[in-house]
Amino acid sequence: MTSLLNPDTSADSMPAPPPAGRPPAVDRFRTQSRRRLARADLLGAVGWLSGVAAVALWLADGGASGFSSFAGTMTALGIVAGLIGMDLVLLMLLLAARIPVVDNAIGHDRALEIHKSLGKPALYLLLAHGLFVAIGYGAAEGLDPLSESISLWINVPDMWLAFVSMALFIAVVVTSLVAVRRKFPYEFWYVVHLLTYAAVGTAIPHQFSVGGLFAEGTWQRWYWLALCIGTGLALAWFRVYQPLAASFRHQLTVSRVVRVSPDVFSIEMTGRNLERLSGAGGRFFLWRFLAPGQWWQSHPFSLSAEPVPGDRNRPGKLRITVRNLGEGSARLARIRPGTKVAIEGPYGLFSTAARSRDDVVMIGAGIGITPLRSLLETTPFEPGHATVLIRGHDESELFLGQEIMALCQARGVTLFHLLGPRSHGDHAWLPRDVAQAGFGLHSYVQGIADADVYVCGPSPWAASVIRDVELAGVPAEQLHYERFDW
Amino acid sequence: MRIRAALATAVASAGILLAGWQSGAHIAETGAATTTSLSSSTKSGGTSSGGGTNTGSPSSGTGSSSGTSTGSTTAATFDGTQVQTRFGTVQVRVTIQDGKITEVTPLQLTDAERKSAQISSRAAPVLRSEVLQAQSANVQTIGGATVTSDAYLTSLQAALDAANF
Repeated sequence: MTSLLNPDTSADSMPAPPPAGRPPAVDRFRTQSRRRLARADLLGAVGWLSGVAAVALWLADGGASGFSSFAGTMTALGIVAGLIGMDLVLLMLLLAARIPVVDNAIGHDRALEIHKSLGKPALYLLLAHGLFVAIGYGAAEGLDPLSESISLWINVPDMWLAFVSMALFIAVVVTSLVAVRRKFPYEFWYVVHLLTYAAVGTAIPHQFSVGGLFAEGTWQRWYWLALCIGTGLALAWFRVYQPLAASFRHQLTVSRVVRVSPDVFSIEMTGRNLERLSGAGGRFFLWRFLAPGQWWQSHPFSLSAEPVPGDRNRPGKLRITVRNLGEGSARLARIRPGTKVAIEGPYGLFSTAARSRDDVVMIGAGIGITPLRSLLETTPFEPGHATVLIRGHDESELFLGQEIMALCQARGVTLFHLLGPRSHGDHAWLPRDVAQAGFGLHSYVQGIADADVYVCGPSPWAASVIRDVELAGVPAEQLHYERFDW
Repeated sequence: MRIRAALATAVASAGILLAGWQSGAHIAETGAATTTSLSSSTKSGGTSSGGGTNTGSPSSGTGSSSGTSTGSTTAATFDGTQVQTRFGTVQVRVTIQDGKITEVTPLQLTDAERKSAQISSRAAPVLRSEVLQAQSANVQTIGGATVTSDAYLTSLQAALDAANF
């Protein structure tokens, strides 16, 4: 076996394996997965510890002495709530900053999921901060919390900004609640979300002047300065500079738009330095087509083919395949060749970087088939160790079906077309007649419990797939799912 | 997060909090000591670091001004009222000699948080020199130290009232 001849350490320095045919080093993916999970754990620990450190530094600067009286206790509780709240807000910004270390460890989806789950706790902590501090300060002065708040607003410099900040935070969180968010167009939510920066900006002055966070000679000063500046730099670097640099580096231009089916089309682009994007097949970019009426909208789409690097004679090629789902993507169908394209990315873990086993199973439906198509092109496996299941109402819905068939033949992949009307009940992801005949996941794939499973498709369908995959004994780290409902 | 990592994080958290609390307890004690020495009025314009000691009972801002004549010459000192603010208690002592304010000594200054101690130490000397120049409590408050200034001047006015100045 190769693994006996090549210890793990040398496997790292080996050049990337040729895409098809050659067997990958055994256990290469297990090691990769172990390291990725360790990185994810480490990031999680750092996140928790950042909040703990904030409280510990406050204690180290003598914070606990306030607990000797009622007013002091209320104020101290308020301060702790404010510290943790601020820490959570900064963590949320970092999670949304698309930092490669985070993306490689947990993926863009998961990062945004955590970002969302922190929103309400952060807001509650900030509200508690205001309430407890008003009670504490009020008790020290013999005022009720409301009069105290009014007096803070009027008398203490920078406090009115803190009240504005609170209102902005409430607005940002409320517009992000699922129920509220559905009622408004994406752009409205986006603009309100930009107010987060204003909310953080207006919160900082009172931390300087009223709170002790940045007082000279305290540890807290350095901690919070580092955290705030670090977060600001991460956002500026990864969300502004890197996308601009990538757009200039690759100079993408639409070369043609090809209709795949009545409502699905491929956009082909040419560009430079595309070898730097190799391995990005399956991952997604945010695409911004620089045409009148288009440039202000960016669309998340995955590559539907591995980038082809250019040479001296011809430019490199890139392709995405898009379904006409909304108004925005309908306009994309009419995009003219020659249009310049700005990109952000690649993002996400729907790639070889997520592999943890030697065997691969890919299950896709609808437009979700297309990222699988590009993953199938490059991800390493031995012939006979991969299975692809693609689902559509009929043959015409198996987008890029011919290309997938050709790739499967070339690389020794077992391919199943799952066609027919949808079924209901436990195995809703299967066609009706297949499910009724008693076939299931096990009928198509043997030994799935020891394979990486990539799932991509509409979310209700994918949820049904994932249920069956989990029932088949596939652990979470082997399950890779790309959401397609943005 | 996997269980082992979660446990490690929990243990690390407890350790960090304990370490912070330990070093903070030390600061809180010295802070209290400094405040006590201030109250005995041997120092002037001093600052105290760390935690406040007297932010508690919302005693009213009136009353309790005690004039104490020190005798030998015509110089007399008068203590102002203790004024409670959200950042701690403020009290000043005024020295009057030959019908003039010759000295203002802070007995307690706002120190509830480190930042307020810092503000007090900046504001107190400025207020003192303004008061000595104006010969009354009727001077401008210091920008950025409104709360401290107001309390300082209120306590001073009470002391001056007690002195029938």
